[in-house]
Amino acid sequence: MGRAVAIIGVGQTRHGRRMDVSYPDLVREAVLRVFEDTGLSPRDIDGVVSGTMPSMMEGIALTHFYFSEAMQAVGKPILKTETCGSTGVSIAHTAYYWVASGLADLVLAVGHEKMNEGNSQATMTTVVEPFYQRYFISGAPGVFSMQSQMWTARYGIPEDKIRDAAAFISVTHHDSAFDNPYAHVKIKVTAEDVKTARVITYPIRLLDVCPNSDGACAVIFASEKMAKKIGRKAAWVKGVGYRGEEYFFGDSDKVVWESAIQAARQAYDQAGIKNPRKELDVAEVYNPFTYQEMLFYECFGFCDFGTSPDLVLKGTFSRKGSLPCDPSGGTLCTNPIGATGLIRVAEAAMQVTGKAGDHQVPGAKLALAHAMGGVDQFNGIMILGSKL
Amino acid sequence: MTKKVAIVAVAQNAGAESKDNFYDEAYRVTKEVLDKAGMTRDEIGSVVSASSDVFHGGISCANAYYWDPTGAFLKNASRQDGESLFALIYAAMRIITGHFDTVLVIGLCKGSENPELDACTLMYSDPFYLRPLGLTETMAAALQMKLYMEKYKIRKEQCAKVAVKNLGNALRNPFAHRKGRYTVEDILKSDTVVDPLTELQCAPKSEGMIALLLASEKKAKKLTDKPVWIRGFGSSIDAYMIGDRDLLDGQLKNAAARAYKMAGIRNPLKQIDLAEITEPYAFQELMWYEQLGFCKAGGGGKLIDKGFTDMDGALPVNPSGGVLANNPYVSRGLQRAAEAFLQIRGEAGERQVKKKVRTALAHGVHGFAGQCHAVAILGS
Repeated sequence: MGRAVAIIGVGQTRHGRRMDVSYPDLVREAVLRVFEDTGLSPRDIDGVVSGTMPSMMEGIALTHFYFSEAMQAVGKPILKTETCGSTGVSIAHTAYYWVASGLADLVLAVGHEKMNEGNSQATMTTVVEPFYQRYFISGAPGVFSMQSQMWTARYGIPEDKIRDAAAFISVTHHDSAFDNPYAHVKIKVTAEDVKTARVITYPIRLLDVCPNSDGACAVIFASEKMAKKIGRKAAWVKGVGYRGEEYFFGDSDKVVWESAIQAARQAYDQAGIKNPRKELDVAEVYNPFTYQEMLFYECFGFCDFGTSPDLVLKGTFSRKGSLPCDPSGGTLCTNPIGATGLIRVAEAAMQVTGKAGDHQVPGAKLALAHAMGGVDQFNGIMILGSKL
Repeated sequence: MTKKVAIVAVAQNAGAESKDNFYDEAYRVTKEVLDKAGMTRDEIGSVVSASSDVFHGGISCANAYYWDPTGAFLKNASRQDGESLFALIYAAMRIITGHFDTVLVIGLCKGSENPELDACTLMYSDPFYLRPLGLTETMAAALQMKLYMEKYKIRKEQCAKVAVKNLGNALRNPFAHRKGRYTVEDILKSDTVVDPLTELQCAPKSEGMIALLLASEKKAKKLTDKPVWIRGFGSSIDAYMIGDRDLLDGQLKNAAARAYKMAGIRNPLKQIDLAEITEPYAFQELMWYEQLGFCKAGGGGKLIDKGFTDMDGALPVNPSGGVLANNPYVSRGLQRAAEAFLQIRGEAGERQVKKKVRTALAHGVHGFAGQCHAVAILGS
C-alpha cells in the first residue's frame, strides 16, 4: 500500500508536572530532541503534522498557530489532525499517509498537552452534548467505570479476580515506569495499595487511573529512500487501522467493542498478522484505566473474551511474559493526552529498533501502538516492525 | 500529484441561518453527495472531515459529535482542524496510497450556534500577552489593511470595490448568505468594525456544511463523465506573533509556489482560468491577488479598478461571492474548492462564468493576518 514508510527518530519531553516550562517550550523540548536524535535539522523537513486535544483543554484555539515556531514549522506545509483522545495515533497516521503518498519524504509529527494548566475532566464533560448525555457522563472515569462493569457482568468474571488482575497491572506498570526516563508517575505501589486506594468511580480506584501530565512527543517519518540515505535503524510501518462508532454511548456495545476489534483487524490484515499474541513481540496499549487495558487485550485478539484477567495474573502480558504490554509504564503512568497516542507509537518504534533502554523487550521485532478517543468512540492502531 | 485523484461530486447547504439542527444539516449534504455519485455509505472507503472545536457550538472533540450523520460509522475516518482545504489533501493522500478508492470529505460549521466570530478568534490569542490586549482576527486584519494601504498607496475605495463585486456576484448564488447590489459608498458608509474595516468589508457568520466525494482515477471514471482532478496543492504556516512577521509578505507565496509546482503552472495569470479566494476582509482579496502572482506587489488595486477579476473579466475571482458573502469559517476552504469544481464542470448555474474554465484555483486561509494558507489547483 503506497510507499514504504519508516520512523527514523523520536523525541519525548520529561513528562510530568512541568511548571518549569511554558507550553511552547514544552513542545520545543520534544521537537529539538527528535532533531538531536536523528541528526537532522528543521530545514530537512517537508511537512509538519500537529495535533492535540480540544481548545478548551489547551486554553487556546487552533494550537498550530501558537506552536508554529516551537514545532520549527514556519514556512512549511502543515496538517492539523484531531480526533480527541486518539489524536496521537491519528497524527501518526496522517504523517504515514503523507509520506506513503509520495507527497513528502520527511514528515515531522508533533503531539502535546499541558494538562496541569487546564482542567481535563471539565473539558471531557464537554465532549458529550449538552442536551442528553452531559447529565450522565462527566469526565472519563464514569464512562470507563460503566464499561468495565458491563464487561465484568457479561462474562461473569468474579469481582475478586478482576480486582486482583487490575491491581497486578497497576503494580507492574508503576514498576516499569521506573525504567522509563520520561515517565511521569514513579511510585512504588503494592497490590494492597491499589486495592485500598480511594474510589474514583466504583470499581475504579485512584491507582487504577492515569495522571494529568504535561508532555510532548515528536516523531519523524521517512520514505524508504530517505530512511536508507540517513542510514539509521528504522521502525517500518506495517499496518494502520482506525475505526469510530456511534456518538451516543448507549448505542453501541462497549464490551465486544467493534471500533477496537475492527481497527486492530484492519492493521493486522495489512501487516499480515494472523495470531497477534504469538506474532507481536510487544504492545503499547492506550491504558488510562487498568480495567480497560484488559478489555483491549480481548478486543485486539490477544486472548478470548472474558479470559484476560486469568492471563494477566499468569504474567502473560508482563515484561517477561509472552506478549509484554506497556513496558514503558504506559498511559497509566503518563498521560499528556494529545501526545499520548504518539508516545505509544514512539515507544513501539523504540522497542523494534532496540532503543528502549532499561525497558527494552529483548529482541522485539514487531510492535503494536494504540490510542482510544471520544466517549469510548474511537480506536486507532499502528503496527511497527524492525524489517522493511 | 504523484497519482491522479478526482472530485466526482459536491453538495452544500445555504449559508443563511437555518432552523435545522446540526445532525440534519450534516446528514443532508452527506446523503446528497452520495446520491449524486450513485453510491451508498457502505461503499465509501473513508471519511475525512474538517471542523474546529472553537467553532462548534460549545461541544469539544467536534468529530465525535457528528460521526454518525457524516457516514463514518465503523469506518477509518479522520479529521482536520481549522482549515477545511487540509481535509481535501489529506483525503487525496489516503487515495494516492491505494488504501482507499473513495473518500468523503466534509466541512462542518453551523455559524448560528456559535458566538460572534471574533469571540472565537480571540481564542487564537495566547492567554498571557495577546488575549489581554483583545487581539482578534478582525483587529489583526485592520492593522494589516492600514499597512497595506500606506505602503502601496491603495485607496479605501479600491478595497471596498472587492465587496461591491463579491456581494454583487452573490446575487446569483443561491447558497450565499449575504448579497446585494451595493455601491462603494454603501460599503464605506456601513458601520465601522475596526477602523478602517467597515461591516460590509468583513465576512458574516454563516452556516456551512459542505461535502465532496474524492475518488481514485479508476474509480472516478466509473462514477462520472466529468471528473475534476486535483492537480496541485500547497500550504504554509507563518510565525505566530504578528509583530514577528511581514504582514504584507506572508506565506501565501510559499503555499502557491508549492501548488503551482505540483500542477506545472509557470504563469498563473495565463494558466489559471478562475480563482475562488478566501477573503474574510475585502482588502485581503487584493493582497492575495498579488501573492498568488496575478500581479506585482501593490498591483491589486489596479487589477480591481480594471475589472480584471469581475465575473466577465480576464480572470474571474470569487464568482460565488466568496467569503464576504458566505463565511462558515472552517468550511470556507472546501467551499472554494466546490465552487471551482462547479465552474470547471459548467454546473455553476446563474453564476457560471462565460469563459471556458479548465483550471481553477481554490484558496483557504485562517489565523491572524493570514498566518496559514492553503492553495489547491483543480483541473478538467
